[in-house]
Amino acid sequence: MASIDQTPKATVGSKPAGKARVDWRRTFGLREMGVYYALVLLVVSLAFLTAYLGKANYISVQNLTNVLYQTSLTAMMAAAMTVILVTGNFDLSVASVAALSAAVMVGTVESLGILPAFGAAMGVAILCGLLNGSIVMFLGINAFIVTLGTLTAIRGLVLIYTDGRSLQVSDLETVAALKAFEGYTFDVGLPMFVGGLAMLVLAAVSFGKHLQILPRHIGLVLGGVALAGLSWSNGLTFPLRMPVVITAVFVGIVWFVLTFTTVGRRVYAVGGNPEAARLSGVNVLAYRLGAFVLCSATAGFAGILFGARLRSMTPTALSGMELTVIASAILGGTSLFGGAGSVIKTVAGALLLFSLTNGFNILNLGANYQGLIEGIVVVAAAAIYTVGNGKAKSKTS
Amino acid sequence: MTDAVPLMQLKNVRKTFGTQIIALRGVDLTITRGRVHGLLGANGAGKSTLIKILSGAYAATGGSVIWKGTEVHWTSPKQANDMGVATIHQHIPLVPTLSVIENVFMGATGFWRVNADMRSSFVSLCDRVGYHLQADTLVADLSIGARQMVAIFQALATGADLIVMDEPTASLAADEREIVYATVRKLSRAENKAILFVSHFLDEIIALTDEVTVLRDGAAVFRAETAGLDEDKIAEAIVGKEIVALEKATLERSRHVAAGADDTPVLQIKNLASPGSLAPITLDLRRGEVLGVAGLLGSGRSELLHAIFGADRHASGEVLLNGKRLKTSTKASVSAGMALVPEDRFGQGLVPDFEIWRNTSLTALESVSRFGFLLDQKKEIERGEEAIRRLAIKAPDCQSIVSDLSGGNAQKVTIAKWLFSDVKVFLLDEPTAGIDIGAKTEILQLVRRLAEEGKSVIIVSSEFEELMAACDRIIVMRDGRKVAERAAHDTNEHELLLLAGGKDSTNPQQTPQGQTIGA
Repeated sequence: MASIDQTPKATVGSKPAGKARVDWRRTFGLREMGVYYALVLLVVSLAFLTAYLGKANYISVQNLTNVLYQTSLTAMMAAAMTVILVTGNFDLSVASVAALSAAVMVGTVESLGILPAFGAAMGVAILCGLLNGSIVMFLGINAFIVTLGTLTAIRGLVLIYTDGRSLQVSDLETVAALKAFEGYTFDVGLPMFVGGLAMLVLAAVSFGKHLQILPRHIGLVLGGVALAGLSWSNGLTFPLRMPVVITAVFVGIVWFVLTFTTVGRRVYAVGGNPEAARLSGVNVLAYRLGAFVLCSATAGFAGILFGARLRSMTPTALSGMELTVIASAILGGTSLFGGAGSVIKTVAGALLLFSLTNGFNILNLGANYQGLIEGIVVVAAAAIYTVGNGKAKSKTS
Repeated sequence: MTDAVPLMQLKNVRKTFGTQIIALRGVDLTITRGRVHGLLGANGAGKSTLIKILSGAYAATGGSVIWKGTEVHWTSPKQANDMGVATIHQHIPLVPTLSVIENVFMGATGFWRVNADMRSSFVSLCDRVGYHLQADTLVADLSIGARQMVAIFQALATGADLIVMDEPTASLAADEREIVYATVRKLSRAENKAILFVSHFLDEIIALTDEVTVLRDGAAVFRAETAGLDEDKIAEAIVGKEIVALEKATLERSRHVAAGADDTPVLQIKNLASPGSLAPITLDLRRGEVLGVAGLLGSGRSELLHAIFGADRHASGEVLLNGKRLKTSTKASVSAGMALVPEDRFGQGLVPDFEIWRNTSLTALESVSRFGFLLDQKKEIERGEEAIRRLAIKAPDCQSIVSDLSGGNAQKVTIAKWLFSDVKVFLLDEPTAGIDIGAKTEILQLVRRLAEEGKSVIIVSSEFEELMAACDRIIVMRDGRKVAERAAHDTNEHELLLLAGGKDSTNPQQTPQGQTIGA
């Protein structure tokens, strides 16, 4: 037993609203918080390095928003990937689905108009998800194999659709409309500041109620200080582009659903023990199929944003992105066996990967080392999660 | 041919796990060449532990194991195997993707996967046993019976002197059993091997063995030559006489029964069947009634519960709850008011990484949420705490992860899951397996309380004394079909054991009730 959780058993029964038992060592251990530590460590060391070497300031608003922009599509797909991983499945085909959706959007936007083109692209993506999910769930083939197949096949569809050539939007009006949509900038400086303060107030209120420091108080305080401080230091402006805002909203919704709703609880139960979930009356099939559809639909939407960003589409675009998406989820501690994972940590994982890339660029370290370092980071993260888990188990038994 | 020195002797062998669990409390056992030694006992009596000590998988905590006159301390199955002990486990650990001959000579050294020596010794093995298998057939393509023979060949190929067979016939059909019997006889008579034969089937123990040892609660309580024994004597030894407490509960209850009973059938089952595991079965369950399903492993008892619960997609027939037909889906069953506590509590009953409160609320999430989807954690935690209180679960609080709980406490959580919604029928599959006597009694008492509240319960158990104590009516299953039905006060454990173990199951009415046969 850790010496920290000494809350006597008796108080639990006698005082229902009394103090909660908090295992600090576990909550703030590498396994639970490692990805945040790594992200903070990376950002801080990059900030110091850039300052020391006299390069452009790393934590300038311009660079930070840039990193957020670069991360947005991957982060969005990784959040959906987290959901499917939590249900105990796997989707390798996301990058191909995103590419197909982008191709459909770019290919049809001039003839159909913007919204119908978006709709067509989403429809295609959702069909891909239904296909993946149906094959996995109804034929009972392993998701890894099925989506490895559809990864190739859907990329093949992209080639067929584009006839192997690049597609381009040339109609000036459409280009301008897409630009306006994708490039729309929200200034979230004031909301960020207010939100940060609200988090601090919330922490104070909650502390007043419990009269005990809980992990969420620390999270709220740190998050509040970071948000408010960042906005304050930049004169209450913080411009974010459309994809970043959409990603933030989407991740927020997925996080809310997973954390606070019955649907979320069942998603974790389905992944944690499908048989127990089924025998508890959960429609396991629907949940797993739904996760496939969500994953592909999100990939489709990311594809649309990608197409809107470039207004053109090469048949090989987004190749290999599925690996970055899955790597983000793994960095965030999502279990490949289902039942565990957090979208917020997944987003932190994606930010970690893109901060690495960004740091390499700023420091002129040469792209040659990038792959090696990224690979090491992913394996190291997996090692921490596995070893941490093993220790936790041996401690209790 | 019997040697003067017994092949293996166990003297006062003890085995404890941790400080709490005592699996064996001093067992003596003598195994001689050329004889078949039957080992019997109820679930949890210590048979498996004893076999694991014999075969080197466990080291004994105390006492001595004497092999061919010298004391040995095996630390791995390999050592025991090299000295001449081969064990055929209940779940045959063969590699289905390899051929018969590769499986038989799995432990062989040398470079080639199969060489000429192996082939010739395989042929001579077949001749010795008198059973012929194709050497190059994949094990995956064989019937269960033939696989059992491959496992026996594997044991023989190591040149073992003692062959331990753990319920070798449990999953076999009648004709396949005959082959195993013939082989066992041949090995002991003609080859002078010693065989330790573990079985639940009393008829085959009588027919096959030369001597019998019965374990109960980790001690050898009965030892005799088989000649002159009958099934009743063995059944009595297995069951034991120390069931006073539970029996008393039965008596006390029989006065109650009339009051709580109600003739409306809550659950009606019509021709419910599942291909390959369950023959059509028709049953009615009344309000406040507790129905016991007595049967051995593989008798179709779990399959029956799963089919009733709509968890078996291949099931045919009808299940009606309060006159309304249920769809074949667990979701429909749960929302209609059925509850299943499955046999494998960590594999099927619980989400191991969830806390107690997350597990207890999983079956009725809507009732602990606002607007039907927004979870109210406070309510959930209250529910978890209430579960701990009501079922006396031993855990610091409901934040404990269920995989950290002991078997009995985890079992209580799997039951607690269902106590917070309007459940009309409880289906309990081996609710007391592998848990200590205190928790057992608590769970049986809970079953009675549920019945008094007007709930209906079906309990499956291998421990018939529990069924006797908790049930109003008992059906007996064997080979996927219902073979008998009794009122609980009209039968006894002997009879149930005989019925489940295959005593003329086609004509159960002729068994005189409450009497021993030929005793």
